[in-house]
Amino acid sequence: MIPLHVQAVSKTFHPPKRPKVEALKNVSLKLEAGKIHGLLGPNGAGKSTLIGMISGTLIPDVGSIEIFGVDILKQVRNAKMLMGVVPQEITVEMAFTVREVLYYFSGMYGVPVKERNPRIDAVLAELDLTDKAEERARNLSGGMKRRLMIAKAILHKPKFLILDEPTAGVDVALRQRIWQLVRRLNAEGTTILFTTHYLEEAEQLCDSITLINHGKVIREGNLKELQKEFAQNTIHFELFDTSVEHLPKVKAVGVEFEYPLVDLEADMHAITSHYNGNLKSIKSGAASLETIFLELTK
Amino acid sequence: MTYMWALYAREVKRFQKLWMDTVFSPIVSTVLYLSVFGIVAGGQMVGDVNYLLFIYTGLLAMNMVNSSFSNPTFALIIAKNTGSIMDLQLVPVQPWGIGIAYALAAVTRAFITIVIAVLFTGWFIPGLSLEHPLLLLLGMVLTGLEFGMLGVVFGMWSKGFESLTFMTTFIMQPMIFLAGVFYPIATLPAPWDTVSMFNPLHHNINLLRFAVTGYSDGNPWLSLAVVTVLGLMLFAGMHVSTARKIRSL
Ligand SMILES: Nc1ncnc2c1ncn2[C@@H]1O[C@H](COP(=O)(O)OP(=O)(O)OP(=O)(O)O)[C@@H](O)[C@H]1O
Ligand SMILES: [Mg+2]
Repeated sequence: MIPLHVQAVSKTFHPPKRPKVEALKNVSLKLEAGKIHGLLGPNGAGKSTLIGMISGTLIPDVGSIEIFGVDILKQVRNAKMLMGVVPQEITVEMAFTVREVLYYFSGMYGVPVKERNPRIDAVLAELDLTDKAEERARNLSGGMKRRLMIAKAILHKPKFLILDEPTAGVDVALRQRIWQLVRRLNAEGTTILFTTHYLEEAEQLCDSITLINHGKVIREGNLKELQKEFAQNTIHFELFDTSVEHLPKVKAVGVEFEYPLVDLEADMHAITSHYNGNLKSIKSGAASLETIFLELTK
Repeated sequence: MTYMWALYAREVKRFQKLWMDTVFSPIVSTVLYLSVFGIVAGGQMVGDVNYLLFIYTGLLAMNMVNSSFSNPTFALIIAKNTGSIMDLQLVPVQPWGIGIAYALAAVTRAFITIVIAVLFTGWFIPGLSLEHPLLLLLGMVLTGLEFGMLGVVFGMWSKGFESLTFMTTFIMQPMIFLAGVFYPIATLPAPWDTVSMFNPLHHNINLLRFAVTGYSDGNPWLSLAVVTVLGLMLFAGMHVSTARKIRSL
């Protein structure tokens, strides 16, 4: 069974008194079961719009979407039951405690009454929120609210989990924790679709990616293969002092610099002689996802 | 179906947290109205019914209507403002199920409100009895559901609390005024007596008052029919509004 099959979906927004926005143009997507899939793209690319349509909160103008073969437009309820969704926007109930939020929300996914509290306790422990269980949800910190959103999405044990920037605004240690959880769920057979702007994260986690920009899919496939394609042609190096004059073809990528590789010996020589003692490290090899991303979206 | 009950339980829990509002504000408003009208018109009769009892039943019915209308409206407007309406967009509950869960929670709240209000104030009302208990139960459920569903429709479409003020001032208040809460509509000058017959709220109040006192402005079964038909129409309207809104908020 294919967890997600998106076929030729388009969506145009018509905000009142504003120009229309073509958020998605003819997007298709097919996920393999049991894999972790990254949906990447710059701000405004259309990621959340696509996720909104997959999760049944937005209606596509054209195209069809199936969750494990169930059409999200024709059988909304059945399709929604198969998914867990962590929306990008953090929202919390004003009136309820963390436990209450989870209790009623999981109920709406059909989790039986007596199973709710045990499941809530387990998930809260895993997300390090146990001591906040009886706290009012709106009093949580931003990162805690984000984790609460994740807890909400997994209590009914969905076979397909969608996370729209689950680690935005979460500190390093807890990000690890969240990915640990996602990996565990994946190991137990859950198919994952997520978006992130932390590309190292995507690099570590994804089996495959889809890159979208301006509402169109510009690249998709196995991450390893994509990296191989870009692999042989880059030299990475770090500098002690970065505010020096650079060679013409040098590009800054995070704390690193990259240089397009043509002839290994000649290029290495060019770099080492130019930067000399300022060179902290140098290696040739696979392009980072960041490079691929920047290359493809420029 | 069962999924809908979790939403119902959540909405009941929500007003339980506002215990004081739920219970005391209707009691206070009822007592205030009663003391004013009691002083002005004490001892007069409407048909066989003491005037104080006449307005008392009218006031309770009005409370029922207000309470069941405002409960879902407030909950939904707040949910929109905080963005937590997203929960309703995500969960596998049909639009009508969402609406009915809110409306039933409103009915529950209205019931609790009325029962407590009667326990506190019923002692002071001359001639309070219960003529048609089953009809009263049916009438309360139908009225609560009807205005609960109206509250859902309104909550789904409204832009915020400003439109709630508009609705209250320009629609609910005039409706209440012409519903025969404070006087029998037959005593109104033409054309207002006829206009009142077309006021849906009049039929709710008349039905509930008839069930308690046996007094009716016009045919009580017509009122029951009007309330039932309106309830069904609102059910359809509520399903459509929720379906539309829940996917395009
Ligand atoms: N409800 C809406 N009304 C009008 N325009 C919208 C609406 N929702 C999204 N858009 C527009 O659609 C485009 C895609 O937005 P979307 O939220 O899908 O981007 P994204 O890829 O998720 O970006 P980010 O990485 O910043 O979250 C943007 O131009 C956005 O302004
Ligand atoms: Mg987004």
